[in-house]
Amino acid sequence: MRDKPIPWIVRLALWQKRSPRYQGIKGFFRNILTNPDYPYKKYFDLFMISLILSSVWILVYEVKNPLPHWVDVYDLYVVTMIFVVEYLLRMWVYSDLYEMVLQQYDESLILGEPINRPKVLKKFIRSKINYILSPTAIIDLFAILPGYRPLRVLRIFVLFRLFKLLRYTKSINEFVQVLVEKRFELLTLLFLLVFIVMTAGIAIYVFETHVNENINSLFDALYWALVTISTVGYGDISPVTTEGRVVSGIIIVSGIAMISFVTSVIVSAFSIKLEELKENRYIQDLNKEEQFLVLCGYGQLTKMFLRQKEDDVEYLIIDKDPDRVAAASKDGYKAIQEDASRYEVLNRFNTEYAKVTLITLLNDDIENIYITLNAKSVDPQIKVIARVSDRRMTSKYRLAGADHILLPDEVASRMLLMAIEQPTIHEAIIQLITGRSKAKLDEVIVHSHDHYCCKSIAEVDFKAYKLLFVGLYRPETKEFLFNPAKEMQIREGDVLLVIGYHVSIEQFKKDLKVTT
Amino acid sequence: MTQRVYLFGYGRHGRQIASGLHESGFSLHILETDEERIARAKEDGYIKVDRVDVTSDEQLEELGIGVDDLIVCVMDDEHLNVFLTLSLRQLLPEAKIYAISDSIHTTEKLEMAGASKVIDLYFVSATRIHNFLHKPVTTHLLSGILGDKHDISFREFLIPPGSFLHGRNTDEIDFGRFNLLFLGLIDVELGNELIFVTEGFNHKLDSGDTLVFMGKDDDLDRFEEIIKRKTI
Repeated sequence: MRDKPIPWIVRLALWQKRSPRYQGIKGFFRNILTNPDYPYKKYFDLFMISLILSSVWILVYEVKNPLPHWVDVYDLYVVTMIFVVEYLLRMWVYSDLYEMVLQQYDESLILGEPINRPKVLKKFIRSKINYILSPTAIIDLFAILPGYRPLRVLRIFVLFRLFKLLRYTKSINEFVQVLVEKRFELLTLLFLLVFIVMTAGIAIYVFETHVNENINSLFDALYWALVTISTVGYGDISPVTTEGRVVSGIIIVSGIAMISFVTSVIVSAFSIKLEELKENRYIQDLNKEEQFLVLCGYGQLTKMFLRQKEDDVEYLIIDKDPDRVAAASKDGYKAIQEDASRYEVLNRFNTEYAKVTLITLLNDDIENIYITLNAKSVDPQIKVIARVSDRRMTSKYRLAGADHILLPDEVASRMLLMAIEQPTIHEAIIQLITGRSKAKLDEVIVHSHDHYCCKSIAEVDFKAYKLLFVGLYRPETKEFLFNPAKEMQIREGDVLLVIGYHVSIEQFKKDLKVTT
Repeated sequence: MTQRVYLFGYGRHGRQIASGLHESGFSLHILETDEERIARAKEDGYIKVDRVDVTSDEQLEELGIGVDDLIVCVMDDEHLNVFLTLSLRQLLPEAKIYAISDSIHTTEKLEMAGASKVIDLYFVSATRIHNFLHKPVTTHLLSGILGDKHDISFREFLIPPGSFLHGRNTDEIDFGRFNLLFLGLIDVELGNELIFVTEGFNHKLDSGDTLVFMGKDDDLDRFEEIIKRKTI
């Protein structure tokens, strides 16, 4: 079989698949046309929007003013040509011929038959026709049509260019989506509307055709019914007989009912959608950060944590309970109602580029462990701090991969013990950690370009800074060296633990950066 | 004489505190309202365990709590705990009362009721999370100090009369040779607060001053002996 010559179509497909240039170009166009996350797409979109607006403006201007020649040329060639090119490019990137060919070729190799060329071509053409028949492509096509000058009627199709705007703006898409989601309710109402308009229209036609000079045909009658039921009521046609007035009375009442119904359906759909949009916005904003926190559960501990928070690291609260989410929003915190134990929820976070720390502070150990496992399955890089309620569960949390484990009961008990047993030291430790008054315990990370990197401890004059050097943590070996020997060398990545005044530590950190 | 501690409540916190206090050599008197918990405390080996109705002032008075005794209020029922604190404060205006609070609102109430020291469960836990985030190494180190795994700890030493330290200046002595880190001292004459060494003082040591060190437990134990000597 290997001796058989490879058909030209397969060779072409292989070339397309393997050529980095072909793939690069196609990938670029695919991104710029269809990938909303592609950073340059928005420039392309803006460009297209301005083309459309200029084209529509020309249409409006033309009604009362003669157009200069160059504007006509611009509208005819530049705008239309760009639209044509865009249309063709979209068709091109919609599907890949080579994939279909190679798939067919693989199948034919298995079956030991020659490749079925017509079948591949049929499949290929069908996929392109699929594209042509998609609603957006149809709008695109209509937007190109006004370029054909011999038919002036086609000028009105410039308005389709406005529809094209939908493609480039996201929020309108959301609007359409809301309507699509409520299509069942809206269709029911539309059906009802058609029914009432038909009935009332026919009734008025029967009652008034020969009496009312304004009603000459069934179309007039139906037009009147529609104008009346919508509460617009132009008044160009109005009933003159008692029967006709009774009919109008009925449709006016049903019209009011129906309009309020439609309004409420759309409003409720939007209010739900708006909530979703807000949540999406929170996550999008968060994903732009270098590091952020995800807090699971809005309880007392979370509240306290946020109250103590002094840095400006971004965060988001996730809670299943809508009441708690509402409470968090009321307190001025960013919260969304989601289930953090679901894979899709955590997977929306940008774990690839950002340092994500998930803090799960629920009362429920089972839920906390589940969330921990979920976070670790989404990305092991996510750091997890978990609250443990039942001491016996600690090992399970470790197994689930929690990086830090917090037992509030135990922390409090230990603190109380310490306060009784070693009151001065208790105060001292609290002072050291919070750094509120005189001395503060702080961590200084040594970077490769720092002043003290690769020097021995003896060379660092801690005393000049009025600092007390406690020890050194080496991340590679994960060991803490308390009060190490003076000859020891400081290496890149080491964390120096020092005690001193806030200002001294800040000065020390600053001087560290200055290279000699 | 060992210090006596009255521990009210043998529930979520009480049990752990009891074992900690017992280990440190305090003389414990456990008080509970709940029979089941009393039984558990007895099972755990505590001898002085009594049932007390904390709402009754007479019963509290009968306990005969002294002025120097410590009181720990860690009943599981928050309302009862606040009430108990208030009753005890009324009974013993001078006593040291310690309490753990389970909610932000209770903390304030306990303080108003007259507790000398209130540990707010959520406050300390939230602080711990912030420390995890910002000072991982310190937290690791301190959780060792606060937890069971003693490796490096803080300890205070009272300079005994006739110690070699008496009359010396803090600058003269190199504590590094004992593998200890000198953190600061408490001078009774200057008040009860710890003065950190980083404040840059040079202090003349007297017997009666308290020194605070950080170090490995073995080294601290060794120094406890050395400090009593007249010369090194």
